[in-house]
Amino acid sequence: MRSSTIGWLFLAPTLLILLVFGMLPFVYVLVIGFTDWNAFAAVATPHFNGVENYRRLVFDDQVLTALWLTLRFTIFAVVSELILGYFLAQLFMRDFPLKGLFRTLHTLPLMVAPIAVGATWRLLTVPGLGPLSYYLERWAGIEYRLNTYASQAFFTTVLMDLWHWTPLVTLTLLAGLSALPKDPFEQAQIDGANRFQIFWHITLPMLRPVILTTVFIRAMDALRTVDEVWMLTGGGPGAATRYIGLHIWRVVFPKTDYGYGAAMSLLTLYLTIVLCWLLYVALVARKRSGEDSR
Amino acid sequence: MQQLTPRPRRGFLPIRTNAFDRGFIGVVLLVAIHLFWLRFLEAYLPLWCATVLSLVIGVIVVRKG
Repeated sequence: MRSSTIGWLFLAPTLLILLVFGMLPFVYVLVIGFTDWNAFAAVATPHFNGVENYRRLVFDDQVLTALWLTLRFTIFAVVSELILGYFLAQLFMRDFPLKGLFRTLHTLPLMVAPIAVGATWRLLTVPGLGPLSYYLERWAGIEYRLNTYASQAFFTTVLMDLWHWTPLVTLTLLAGLSALPKDPFEQAQIDGANRFQIFWHITLPMLRPVILTTVFIRAMDALRTVDEVWMLTGGGPGAATRYIGLHIWRVVFPKTDYGYGAAMSLLTLYLTIVLCWLLYVALVARKRSGEDSR
Repeated sequence: MQQLTPRPRRGFLPIRTNAFDRGFIGVVLLVAIHLFWLRFLEAYLPLWCATVLSLVIGVIVVRKG
């Protein structure tokens, strides 16, 4: 038997699983996106309606607002997590008392289910009862009402995401920093480079693949966040924290508008892929092309 | 050994791309052009114009990109 045939035979189970659990549901959603399927409609069966769902979608202010909010949430959350995660990773590269304990405690939020994270933060922020709202009001005089102030609700969702996912960023950056060779740093120190120069010209370029992978993972996660925000704010006040995942959920489940929900899901998937690809082009592919053409 | 990934090359796009990359860029542009058309231009020009335009752009990207 030819070696390529044996290779394909080894790959066959994985390809089959990928086809059944990855491609088929995608194709199904793609097809449903071109139908008017709504379980509450007079005729509750899917009928092909061309691009009607997409025509409705590009004029739907609620969807466009939800997409903008999601993008804003993603940028705030991922950038903050990256900065904080980098500093924590640098901290864990040094020795200090009780480092092991601190590292374990710092990693604990990763093990909490998103729905429990949302519930915990909900309890923390209940007006007058939750410690966060109570002490902010008592010590700083800040009236902290998630159900009233849109900006507070938005930044609390960002803070919650920061609390939950910074450990992941720290761990991946720590793995990247630990794997960096020592020689370039020693040579830079001998040449008299200061800390910022070492960071900018050595650490950052060498850490670029790790940073990119981390940003991809976190951006994709943040763009489809639902459960934590659902528990904390329910998308409110008004629609101030109704991110696109939450909006799709509201359209697909309570309203059973499956066709339109599928179209929104596909648009979200499209934007996620395009954003990640643009990021990849900006950070890696352009640089590699420039190096190749030299 | 047989190479499964097409070889990357340099065209008018700012990055080196292989055939899969150019196909992907073509599909991304196709969707973007249709959504843009639905939102802003469909009142003046029918949607099939967007399809023709995106297919032409797709072919150019795949062949020359």
